[in-house]
Amino acid sequence: MITAKNLNLIYPDGTEALKGINFQINKGELVYITGPSGSGKTSLIKLIMGAEKPTSGQLIVLGHLMKTENQKGIRGLRQSIGPVFQELKLINGRTALENVMLGMRFLNIPRSQWKTKATEALDRVRLGHKILSVAENLSWGERQRVAIARAITRKPSLILADEPTGNLDVENAENILNILNSLRDEETAVIITTHATHLIDETAITQLIHIENGLIHINGGLHS
Amino acid sequence: MKIIIANLGYFIKETFTTLKTNRLSNLLSFVSITLAFFLLALVITTWIVSLQVIDVMEQEAEINVFFYETVDEPSRDWVAASISDITGVVSTRVVNEAEALQRMEEILGEEAQVLAYFDENPFEAFIEVKVDLNQSQAIVSALQEIPDVRSIRDNQQVLDQIRNITRIQQFLGTLFIVAAGTATLVVISHIIRQGVYHNREQINTLRLLGAPESFIALPFLLVGLVMTVGGGLLASVMTGAAINMGYTQMSGPIPYLPLPPQGLLMWNTTLVILLLSLLLGIGGSVMGLKTSKET
Repeated sequence: MITAKNLNLIYPDGTEALKGINFQINKGELVYITGPSGSGKTSLIKLIMGAEKPTSGQLIVLGHLMKTENQKGIRGLRQSIGPVFQELKLINGRTALENVMLGMRFLNIPRSQWKTKATEALDRVRLGHKILSVAENLSWGERQRVAIARAITRKPSLILADEPTGNLDVENAENILNILNSLRDEETAVIITTHATHLIDETAITQLIHIENGLIHINGGLHS
Repeated sequence: MKIIIANLGYFIKETFTTLKTNRLSNLLSFVSITLAFFLLALVITTWIVSLQVIDVMEQEAEINVFFYETVDEPSRDWVAASISDITGVVSTRVVNEAEALQRMEEILGEEAQVLAYFDENPFEAFIEVKVDLNQSQAIVSALQEIPDVRSIRDNQQVLDQIRNITRIQQFLGTLFIVAAGTATLVVISHIIRQGVYHNREQINTLRLLGAPESFIALPFLLVGLVMTVGGGLLASVMTGAAINMGYTQMSGPIPYLPLPPQGLLMWNTTLVILLLSLLLGIGGSVMGLKTSKET
């Protein structure tokens, strides 16, 4: 599903975000990418999303060779991903339902199913009672759950959550991680970046990738 | 296309949300666009009217040929017959004194009573010669060669003057269309750039979610169209009222001015303005989106 070989990312200002990292993520995995702030986690997510291109090395995401992929290919790739962004990226002035439906509007999902799927997803993240609440009137935890609902309605092959526990208290953070952990199935891999390692349920995950100063320090299945 | 149809409601909603974000600025822009289209419509209207006047006058182009008093009736017919043989002459007709008087009475209408002060009919007979306007100079020269002809009156000078005025009007009209068009393009592209700037977060989110560029751009294209087509429609209504007023004012003092039918004039002007507004709306939006991408 994702293969990185000797992957490097250097920003135009010369900052080396990732230094020759290698890893592989397969279908149905639950992977945590950990590391302190500024370690390169978000840079890796940006590379997987096609928001940055590798400086050197190879990165293949869902069959797309990211170094040479064109805009159309990147768009296609993004349509197969369910992203949960660090800054959530919900549309203000729109209800939770509208925000969730927005993620489906340009995919191959029939219009007649948009509302049902969005309502079901919001129910799944326990926000069924707030589907008509406007995004900015929701708490950060609730907004986080709307972003997760938006990601899951897209029936993605890959769910990417970048620091989903940031700005949350322990209880809410655990709730969010439990929801995300539960999204993993045979066809869908879930990748979560976090610096809050104490919240990780080690019994649930299949792989832990620890990044520090752009280098991978730990890489491997925990329970294999 | 399937995506666009399925999302029509969403696009319309997004369009009006964008319009609402800079309410006052967008309202002022809308007023400017409407006024620009209104002025444009007035230029187009006067253009159509003057073209119609020239056309009618050209169709009605005729030369009046007057005789010496000594020429009797059979000689008039002979002169008319020889005029018919001149190349470029379409038809000839002898108008006698009584018919000349009757025509003047019709033109003067209520004022015709002034003719009662004459003891005798003051009008003389003449030959009405319908001509091909392109050959009128040669015809006039040939008429001057006929011995019984005393004087010739043609409307060549009047037509030439109207043509000159129309040429100036066409030049100014074209300049005005270019100026108003450019101003509208700039205003629309500025509104679109503002809209893109205010919605940059949303646009970025949609891109990260894999939305096609057409899906992201369509609401902005609709913003441009709503502004220009709305302005065009309002300008058309204002032009309709202005044409109506103009026709009412002109029907009194200049009853025989060959104006085009009022309905047709309104329809043609509206069609041109709406077509222009459509093109300028699309053009301005595309320009705004392109420049937003570059900056």
